[in-house]
Amino acid sequence: MRASRMLLGGVGVAVAAYGVKLLLDLGLGNLRATLEWLVGGIVLHDALLAPLTVLVGAGLVRLSRGGVRIGPLVVGGLVVGTVTIAAIPVLGRFGARSDNATLLDRNYLVGWLVLVVLTAVVSLGVLLVRGRQRP
Amino acid sequence: MRLPASPREEDFTSRLRGPAVAARVGVWLGTCFVIAFVTGFISHEAHVTHPFVAFPTRPVWLYRVTQGLHVASGTAAIPLLLVKLWSVFPKLFARPPRRVTELAVESLERGSIAVLVGAAIFELASGVANTAQWYPWGFHFRATHYAMAWIAIGALAVHVAVKLPLIRAVLGAPIENEEHDRPGISGVAPLGRRTLVRGSLLASGVAVLATAGATVPLLRRVSVFGVRSGDGPGGIPINKSAHAAGVIATALSPEYRLILRHGAQERSFSVADLEALRQRSGKLPIACVEGWSASGTWTGVRLRDLLDLVGAPRGRDVRFTSLQQRGPYKVTTLPSQFADDPLTLLALGLNGEKLAIDHGYPCRLIAPDRPGVFQTKWLAAIEVL
Repeated sequence: MRASRMLLGGVGVAVAAYGVKLLLDLGLGNLRATLEWLVGGIVLHDALLAPLTVLVGAGLVRLSRGGVRIGPLVVGGLVVGTVTIAAIPVLGRFGARSDNATLLDRNYLVGWLVLVVLTAVVSLGVLLVRGRQRP
Repeated sequence: MRLPASPREEDFTSRLRGPAVAARVGVWLGTCFVIAFVTGFISHEAHVTHPFVAFPTRPVWLYRVTQGLHVASGTAAIPLLLVKLWSVFPKLFARPPRRVTELAVESLERGSIAVLVGAAIFELASGVANTAQWYPWGFHFRATHYAMAWIAIGALAVHVAVKLPLIRAVLGAPIENEEHDRPGISGVAPLGRRTLVRGSLLASGVAVLATAGATVPLLRRVSVFGVRSGDGPGGIPINKSAHAAGVIATALSPEYRLILRHGAQERSFSVADLEALRQRSGKLPIACVEGWSASGTWTGVRLRDLLDLVGAPRGRDVRFTSLQQRGPYKVTTLPSQFADDPLTLLALGLNGEKLAIDHGYPCRLIAPDRPGVFQTKWLAAIEVL
């Protein structure tokens, strides 16, 4: 196993180095703009999103210490939270153009509300059914 | 839980945050990244004029499927990456070792993880923004997304190589097994580890269902976050409008002529001339790098028929020039296997209608199994190379 790990690691370093070469070939201006986003992504996650989940998590732990069974609600929150993050570009319609009606041509806010309501109904349904099974 | 000024690894007491969850979510996340990398490489090959292996013209839907998969696997990865990062977040605050050699090894590992996390977030964020045609950055999207993919997949291989013994150990044990957990985790959690892993997969599936309607017609009504509903002139959406390309006057002008050149031979065609040539019809998809696609029945002149008019031999690449005034795809080169393909048309009509100006009136190129940006609209000139 040690040999195959060394091999995998070596290949990984070579592959990443090729990527760095491709990136450098795109010029310094491009590199600067890329690094802003590379570092920005890590900072946004580690300094903003992750602490936020710590706070939410602390609240959820307190609730479940109080004996409330909230598993299905947490899963529902996970679905809505992560899918909302994935949908930021369409929710904000940042790429919309007045000369192209075929692009971003839905009411995304209504879609988001549908997702929230549907998830809430399913989560509560699971919670109720489970509660009845295990009184 | 108290929030100290500077948290330590032990301050995170959740039994959900640990290698048992991280490895299981990681396997799915890694799978998504490998699919996205392979399909992304295929897309890159489809974009270069002379790739490693000549890009195939069949099946006609190949690029549509690989690019749809590319965007779907990237979208699926977003919830998985968020849960994966959440499950290992306490490691960020682990105390560094005292011994110099250990410190050096750990610094290297942390560096490789920083590269992996940065590249992974970069790829997913830039990719999902690109699907919605949002470009809030100063880098060249396609080239940078491609370069960063090699960095991400390389860093992923290094990460798996480093963690392999731990991955094998936790995947081989029951999910609630605590042998490899951080010290100090508490027993209280609002849900079990298995539920968290399944919940992540559920979120990942919902993310795909909510967006894939832009390329899977059956999902159009389900995909509340689909970038396109599939509507448009002739039943097909558009990417660049005639207005944006600045071609309205030249495309509608009665003086319009399509120039066809092969060496010293040159012919020019008015719209009526093109309509007088033998017309053919074929069902071909238009599939964009942003992951949306739609299939239509195109009518027009077979490209090969036109090339025969100027005596062009088979096996030649063909250069297409658009009326559009600027943009990287104003001039494109069609590799010879597409130029000689009987399905490749100069389309004058779509789904029984005259080609709309936003679809490239007077005529556009439509070839099987090609990225959308190369299906050049508002053709001005065709030149045999």
